[in-house]
Amino acid sequence: MRKQTLSGILGVLAALMIGGIVLALQGFNPFSTYGALLQYSLLSASGLSAMLSRAVPLVLTGLSASIAFGSGLNNLGQPGQLVIGALAATVVGLFVRLPAVALIPLCIAAAMVGGMLWSGLAAGLRRAFAMDEFIVTLMLNFIADYFTLWAITYPLFDPAALSPMTRPIRTYAWLSQVGGINASVLYMVAATVLCWLLMSKGVSGYEWRIMGQNRLFARIGGCRVDAHYVRVMLVTGALAGLAGGLMVMGGPHRFVKGLGANYAWDGVMIAVVANNSIPGTFLYGLLFSMLQQGAIGMELVTAVPSEFIDVLQAIIVLVVVAGRVSLNLMFDRIATRKKLRESLQ
Amino acid sequence: MSVFYGLYSAMLVGATPILLAAIGGAFTYYAGIFNIAMEGMMLVGAFCAVLGSFFLHSWILGIVCSIAGALVMAGIFVLFAVRLHTDEFLTGIALNLFAVGLTTFLLRDIFHVKGAFTDPRIVAIPAVTVPFLGQIPVVGRLVSGYNAIIYVALAVTVVSAYVIFRTSFGLRLRAAGYNAACLNSSGVQTPAIRVWSLILCAICCGLAGAYLSLGSVRLFAENMSAGRGWISLAAVILVSGNPWGVGIISLLFGFFDGLTVFLQGSAIPTQFTAMIPYVATLVSLYFYSVRKRKA
Amino acid sequence: MMDGVLIDLQHISKVFPPATVALSDVSVSFRSGEIHALVGENGAGKTTLMKVLYGLERRDRGDILLRGAHVDFRNPREAIAAGIGMVHQEILLIPEYTIWQNVVLGAEPVHALGTLDIRTARERVARKIDEFLFNLDPDAPVGSISVAARQKVEILKLLYRDVSVLILDEPTAVLAPQEVGQLFLELEHLRDKGHTIIFISHRLDEVLGLSDQVTVMRKGKAVATSPASRLTKEELAREMVGRSVVFAAERSPAEPGEPVLVAQELTVRTTDGRDALDHVSFQVRSGEILGVAGVEGNGQFELVNAIMGLSAIAAGGLSVQGVDLTHADILARRRYISFVPQDRGRMGASLPASILENAIMTHHILDRSFRRWRGLALNYRRAIALTRQIQDQFDVSMENAAAPFQSLSGGNQQKVILGRELLLEAPLVLMDQPTRGLDVGSTEYVHGLLLDLRNRKKAVLLVSADLDEVFTVADRIIVMSRGRLVADLRTEETTREEVGFYMLGGKDAVHAQADA
Repeated sequence: MRKQTLSGILGVLAALMIGGIVLALQGFNPFSTYGALLQYSLLSASGLSAMLSRAVPLVLTGLSASIAFGSGLNNLGQPGQLVIGALAATVVGLFVRLPAVALIPLCIAAAMVGGMLWSGLAAGLRRAFAMDEFIVTLMLNFIADYFTLWAITYPLFDPAALSPMTRPIRTYAWLSQVGGINASVLYMVAATVLCWLLMSKGVSGYEWRIMGQNRLFARIGGCRVDAHYVRVMLVTGALAGLAGGLMVMGGPHRFVKGLGANYAWDGVMIAVVANNSIPGTFLYGLLFSMLQQGAIGMELVTAVPSEFIDVLQAIIVLVVVAGRVSLNLMFDRIATRKKLRESLQ
Repeated sequence: MSVFYGLYSAMLVGATPILLAAIGGAFTYYAGIFNIAMEGMMLVGAFCAVLGSFFLHSWILGIVCSIAGALVMAGIFVLFAVRLHTDEFLTGIALNLFAVGLTTFLLRDIFHVKGAFTDPRIVAIPAVTVPFLGQIPVVGRLVSGYNAIIYVALAVTVVSAYVIFRTSFGLRLRAAGYNAACLNSSGVQTPAIRVWSLILCAICCGLAGAYLSLGSVRLFAENMSAGRGWISLAAVILVSGNPWGVGIISLLFGFFDGLTVFLQGSAIPTQFTAMIPYVATLVSLYFYSVRKRKA
Repeated sequence: MMDGVLIDLQHISKVFPPATVALSDVSVSFRSGEIHALVGENGAGKTTLMKVLYGLERRDRGDILLRGAHVDFRNPREAIAAGIGMVHQEILLIPEYTIWQNVVLGAEPVHALGTLDIRTARERVARKIDEFLFNLDPDAPVGSISVAARQKVEILKLLYRDVSVLILDEPTAVLAPQEVGQLFLELEHLRDKGHTIIFISHRLDEVLGLSDQVTVMRKGKAVATSPASRLTKEELAREMVGRSVVFAAERSPAEPGEPVLVAQELTVRTTDGRDALDHVSFQVRSGEILGVAGVEGNGQFELVNAIMGLSAIAAGGLSVQGVDLTHADILARRRYISFVPQDRGRMGASLPASILENAIMTHHILDRSFRRWRGLALNYRRAIALTRQIQDQFDVSMENAAAPFQSLSGGNQQKVILGRELLLEAPLVLMDQPTRGLDVGSTEYVHGLLLDLRNRKKAVLLVSADLDEVFTVADRIIVMSRGRLVADLRTEETTREEVGFYMLGGKDAVHAQADA
């Protein structure tokens, strides 16, 4: 565990340095740029609040990807599961008449069910026809994207709007601010804790983890890997769907075109950098959220295009992942030299 | 009749980028590399093609730039996945993210626009009229008048099949995928073969990207590869890398891609027609998986 | 014919990270025109030493001289160019390619632009086949020929490149006794033509029968070098192990009870319709060890898979203690079967997981005390207790239970797996090559465990490619050949030769002997 944290911190720092060089080459000042980044996210009340809200889809899709990859599944469908979940929550939020105390949980449940449906579809295709979920979830992403676009352009379209979006959902389904922070953040934290409990203390978490490391061994050990496969797909789909639902309920309160955009692919990226660890996913989710939130302010102050953050994020991923491997090799080499000296004495 | 020609033309246009990227993917597939970075290579290629064509006023140089861009991506893949032994899947994902971020960033930074960049000064790749065959009444329209890259794609398919199955490089390439340890003990540097397969993949993906941005249109749009890299990956898997199989599958997907454009004007909402290529991929995967299971 | 020294290895040392000393100051020399055996137990360093010479491993210290000049092969290609070739223990060929494609791979004759010159390639390969009397068809796909033939293709690959030194790593591990004889004839033929053969083995009879010189290695050191003529089997064994080894097994006579495992007409089909298991019937009784002998690849693995539930049984039946398990899922079988698989890393453990996580597998399902909170959470205290129990009872040396499983040595890994499986206290114990890759001490330990199980009235099914092991431990022996059970014998009533005869299919073996 210590090796992981070390390689993570070193990797991020190294990536920031490389990013700084890129900035300098383009004629920008790295220090004022990074300073502005921090100032507009972590170091201001409104920035912090926005950063935490922005972290919700990042962390939740990250958890979805982490659990999936850690269990040996190639669920790359978070983008699609997110929008279907968002659509489900929107539909419930538009048409169901219930007071807030019932409507909010219902919308959240609908979001999770929506995500589960979409990932369950991929799971079903795999179980019934042996269709690899890698390609299936990828294709379903595009299909979900177009489907939800159709839904908000025609049947659910808000006549008063100028671009594709739905009407606002009933106010009883809106998530409010709690002490300056949006309630969706609380749901994110709760989900993280539950996932952590599941994976580290739970029997299922243990079997999923072993399944991800060595499926054959888990099978021979008596684990019901086929049933687990479906369960993991459903749980991870629910997490991504939840992200979508929370985005609608906590944010614009309606399904706007472009919701979800890159968030879900960022979730995959976060899982990769965090090496599928739950606490790691949470922290990296916050980190990337900070970078993305700060980028907006950064652009106002230093004129660096906010898309620079996308480049920086990818550099972080590459450097941390490569660094992890190199660090392992380095430790091994040191251990070798030590043992050689001992044995020849 | 014009419907037929229209569909045929749309099929070729839709198939070409998928075909080129898939041939590139075939090389890495045979070499035993789990390469999912075709999407990113294509995107970077598309951007660099516009870059080259705009600033250097030549479509040829545009193609050169697109290949160069894709080679840089391949170089990063080699550095991380081959040299540093990072997981190929992770490297591919990271590269795709990097490609999206970089091209979007540079779009803002160099051209100062968001979303898409187009300009009359961009030199597109021209269409080619075949001298004699083009004159033949019915058949002529089937073989002449298409974009140069489409012919290049055809040539690439034939050449790759030859290289893979009839040369010593091809023998070693496939051996690297079948049993890399065996190839190593036969005295061949397997990493070198892998690097070569990535270089060839980059060249093909660069061409694919150049076609996307300089072929039928003359622009670069954010994320314009739109999942074609993933479809080409599916194509490679479905035919286990065989270039001829790749050609046929690409035509199939191209047909569905073209159908999308074709149905644009009809009563079916555009969003559903846009889904067609992806649904088609799922259906092909279904047939492939069911057949594999029976075997 | 003893010429001067051809290869001189001086003071070679090598450490595998993080803590394994593979070679410690090893010095050996090889002469041209001799068959030189390199013997030692598993893990003695024989293969590593040759890999260092061959360029597959880097040495940490020492020098290598070829014909008096310093050499340092950075990869096998350089070694081959210098005339040294190595055939590995695991056959490294490409089953999808034909024999000639495999042989010329890496040294292909070409036309312009790299086009393969297929005709020249086939001709050259055919010529070499005739020159060395190998009896192979250049166009046969390697996937379709026998293991012994594949080994010959590996040797052919090297002879095609004109090597004069052949290193063979445990070549007889996959051969039946009669095929071994054939191989030795061919090796002697090569030696007489001036080649040098370095022959790695741990089988004493073969070593003494074939070689001119013998070098013994033990625990990474070269402990003795001597002409074979001056050694007896006992002396050789003592050098290998470091103490007197008793050859005859000490074993009280078996008193078997009721049948525990009953297999009737077991048939398993492969994906292309062939019979991987063809109507196999046998029984294992409590208090008895049944050894499954046979050249690897004759259905033993399929039998293990069928019993465990990894392959579907097409016809016939399987029951344990009267319970029909023919179509039961794996978990149902685990209530009755403890399983120690042949490939530790692939089937017996998860290497990156912790020792504790590996230790509790299957226990966590079958034993309720491993769960808390309505069966949803793991009881870590119970898990640690089990790990401790395994550590004490099975003498595992480990630092702490949270360390990754792969940080343990091979022997300790096997002990953890044994501990986990045996503590399930299932009536049937299935072990597949349990001592492969283990040193003598660990092997003896495992044999002791097996005999103890039998004395405690468990039924033990032991699948082993090591005939010595089978004869040491088993009360009865069944022989598999081409998916069929061809013999069911009591150990004390048979000999190694008879079993070898059955391993080659009985009648077919007679033909092979006539041709050799």
